[in-house]
Amino acid sequence: MKIALAGNPNSGKTTLFNMITGKAEYVGNWPGVTVDKKMARLKRTYRSETGGRGHACRKRKGLHPECGHCGGKTCQGQHGRNRIDVVDLPGAYSIEPYTGEEAITRDFILNEAPDVLINILDTSSLERSLYFTTQLLELGLPMVIALNKQDVVTRNGDKLDVLLLEKLLGCPVVPVTANEGAGLDMLVEKTIRAADGSGPAAPKIPGRGTPSESTGRQQFIKNILSHCFSKAHSASEITLSDKIDRIAAHAVFGLPIFALIMWAVYSFSINGLGGWASGYVNDILFGKLVPDAAHTFFTSIGVNPLLQSMIIDGALGGVGAVLGFLPLIMVLFFCLALLDDSGYMARVAVVMDRYFKQIGLSGKSIIPMIVGSGCSIPGVMAARTIENRNERIVTIMLTPFVPCGAKLPIIALMSVVFFPGATWVFPAVYLIAGLLIVVGGKFLKRVFQFESAGSFIIELPAYKLPSLKHAFTQMMKQAKAFIFKASTIILVMNTLIWFMQAYGWRLQPVEDQQASILASIGGVLAPLLLPLGLVGWQMAASILTGFIAKENVVATLAVILSASEETMAIAGGPLTALFTPITAFSFLLFNLFTPPCFAAISAMNMELGGRRWLFRALAFQLGTGYMLAMLVTQFGTLLFTGRFAIGAIPASVLFIAISILIFILTRKKNKEAPSELIQV
Amino acid sequence: MPLFKAKPGEVNRIRSVSCTDKVRQFLFTLGCSAGEEITLVSVLAGTFIVAIKDSRYAIDMNFAKSIDLV
Repeated sequence: MKIALAGNPNSGKTTLFNMITGKAEYVGNWPGVTVDKKMARLKRTYRSETGGRGHACRKRKGLHPECGHCGGKTCQGQHGRNRIDVVDLPGAYSIEPYTGEEAITRDFILNEAPDVLINILDTSSLERSLYFTTQLLELGLPMVIALNKQDVVTRNGDKLDVLLLEKLLGCPVVPVTANEGAGLDMLVEKTIRAADGSGPAAPKIPGRGTPSESTGRQQFIKNILSHCFSKAHSASEITLSDKIDRIAAHAVFGLPIFALIMWAVYSFSINGLGGWASGYVNDILFGKLVPDAAHTFFTSIGVNPLLQSMIIDGALGGVGAVLGFLPLIMVLFFCLALLDDSGYMARVAVVMDRYFKQIGLSGKSIIPMIVGSGCSIPGVMAARTIENRNERIVTIMLTPFVPCGAKLPIIALMSVVFFPGATWVFPAVYLIAGLLIVVGGKFLKRVFQFESAGSFIIELPAYKLPSLKHAFTQMMKQAKAFIFKASTIILVMNTLIWFMQAYGWRLQPVEDQQASILASIGGVLAPLLLPLGLVGWQMAASILTGFIAKENVVATLAVILSASEETMAIAGGPLTALFTPITAFSFLLFNLFTPPCFAAISAMNMELGGRRWLFRALAFQLGTGYMLAMLVTQFGTLLFTGRFAIGAIPASVLFIAISILIFILTRKKNKEAPSELIQV
Repeated sequence: MPLFKAKPGEVNRIRSVSCTDKVRQFLFTLGCSAGEEITLVSVLAGTFIVAIKDSRYAIDMNFAKSIDLV
């Protein structure tokens, strides 16, 4: 059986989904968090809600002429195993889609024919929610209505006659508070019972099928509510949220407040608790305890030294270098989840709207970027909520500039080794990211001659006290994903990298890393890094592995440098042999602002809808990251040491070439404009 | 009177919404259409915070211009 969850944005579909399936999908207190459908099995505890019938089904595994569950008609496969899937869908205000993610919802409901719908309503905005509800009722699918956020209704003192509403709509209605789990047993029970029956009768909308249908629908809803709903407060009363907004989204203070909040979150995560815990894990746990224990263990059972080296220096060393930053990432995601849950993120969109208008975008574009600070893949996908195609393309191109969770270890590593004690590295990186988004946005607008037709609307949910439990769940989910990645793709890559740096092309162990497979592959690409002041195959190799997963940049450096018997993540560690502080910063920027990992690139490909735009996006990102790293090395070195950096000559040539290219690209528009004037 | 000239805190009725069909349809589903009530709650950072039905929305000048009040 398939249960689909449908309802308005931010009505709590994903919260309900997580509760009844035991998943931990991303939830936020702002509209448009879910942009794709997700499916999972109903939790066992809820499956017993099906009562005797469900159990009979499961026991008989397929042979059951008298199975009550489906009347014995189709009781095979999914039915027979009592398999109940729940599908979470993106929020929609109406069955006619306005944005891309709403179309996903419509297509699923109309084409995939779920066995039963749960329509989730935010009871605190009942009138609007019922518009979609009446449309869903017309589809004739079995349906149950979940009146969510009952706690808010009780607090507001509104009165709703649920039984009467049920009667007027002709469909079962269950009051729930999804985030506390209240009413969910009853909801699941009624849903499963409804799936057996036929769908509700279509509501009698006045003027159905005529142009006045939608007005008739609004009238129908008003009529129903006048019978069963009375509000304690008028919607136009100034609430506490409105008062907070006057400060949080203030014309002058809005942006500094946002900057201050972000700075506090990051400095607590990176220099505060998270940084301290990461320092411990890096230095003590993965620096001494684990390698020593592994060494003793492998020596005691007489493992071949080469194999020992592969496991300790390759697999463990690389994975350890990444896992060391796990505490930092956990603290950061905990703080971001709290912020997310409070409802503040929708206000950030309001504050940023003015600034984003300058580069042809709107406040909506900040949401993919905030999501992208966790991972670029959902960030890029979140761009679906943007209705205008040009704005969507530019947002997808710019979102990967926001450093994702996987890039944090690179920033943290370079910061610890080359700028010990400095608190400016993280803020500087985010400031540069912000500047690149502004400059990049202007550039793209100019080159592709996008007109900013953008109009901006976002629903502002009321503020609420963030839930610690929710933040903890989100943090553990991120931690699990991080550990999973480290113990699979990064582990495999590290073992491979270890092998490639220890063996030559004829598969013979090499004494000198310079003769290894890795050195020769890195060596091919190394000349391209010369204008950035980066000399050596090691950097090229780690940049390359970074495209598989950005954590690999750190892991690969750890494997390559493992010979030095020292922990990598300490001030003045072995990395100083490869970088000066300036080239280290430049290397960092290069990894942050060139194209993201392959997984994110494929998400970009999907969302941009074709190779043509993908190539443009990649060329833009590669050009930006390369140019920035080059400028930092060349000007930085000249400024701080008074000498020219390595590769100054090719860098100058490139700089001139790129400048000409930018000039030509941005001039095209000016050239075409007069020719149009002549025609007129 | 266009929405952006409304007095904050005052409940107004919408006379008409003038924009593309797609946007009008979308605004309609939110309850922002001729004959419905709308309240300008405040003007923040160049965007207009409005109350339509029981929800708050932030809309920009482009939207605010297209909504005409009685």
